[in-house]
Amino acid sequence: MGVSGPAPAIDEAPDLVRERVGPWQTVVWNDPVNLMSYVVHVFREYFGYSRERATTLMLAVHNDGHAVVAEGAREQMELHAQAMHDYGLWATIRRAPA
Amino acid sequence: MSRLEIVLELTTAEAFHLSGLVRQFLELLDDSASVTADDPAVARLAPDAYPDDPEASREFRTVTRGDLLARRRDDAQRLLAQLAALVDLDADPAEPTAGDEAAVTLDPDDLQAWLRTLAALRLVIATRLGIHDEDDHDPSDPRYDIYEWLGYRLDGLVHAASGS
Repeated sequence: MGVSGPAPAIDEAPDLVRERVGPWQTVVWNDPVNLMSYVVHVFREYFGYSRERATTLMLAVHNDGHAVVAEGAREQMELHAQAMHDYGLWATIRRAPA
Repeated sequence: MSRLEIVLELTTAEAFHLSGLVRQFLELLDDSASVTADDPAVARLAPDAYPDDPEASREFRTVTRGDLLARRRDDAQRLLAQLAALVDLDADPAEPTAGDEAAVTLDPDDLQAWLRTLAALRLVIATRLGIHDEDDHDPSDPRYDIYEWLGYRLDGLVHAASGS
């Protein structure tokens, strides 16, 4: 996941920097079909996340209806969305909220 | 991911019925290449990437949809070939071989194809059934049994794949 970027200005709040690592986001949406175990598997396999992180992300999708799974350049987000679609996950791309 | 192989044990009846589903799936994918591309099940497999931007969505679809469906087809054909090695797909499933066990050995690429295809079959069936909620169920509709069986097999493969 593209979290590397220009160093944050020292007067910027770190949590805001984390929210804005890229101008575009890949969002995975909840659906009633995909199994929780499968979604965790996808996040682990594709993004290389730990079981804990993948599970947290899956639960965010499940409980909140959606979760941002990646942020960065638009082209990169399109690759991620395609990969999610290959797995059968419902993924969209959006501009990161200001 | 490690390069381990997974042995999937199916009954020949399961292999037979699964191959029927995969064949139907391949037909759906072939149809989707033509103008009848408005099938909601196919739309679910290739969702709108930019729901708020029809122009960007169309562009994304133009660039990616054909390749996505081609990968789906490759995956499904891989399953079908493995199933064909287990059972005579043109035989009558009511024949007495139905209780026999059959095993498929899956290398990591096979496993990927199996996971994706089982998940895709569930998405297609769920679209046909109009499943909108995880608790949707109709015991009188045998398609739910197929849907749940696919989920059971998918979950088993996921756990085998992640070593849990």
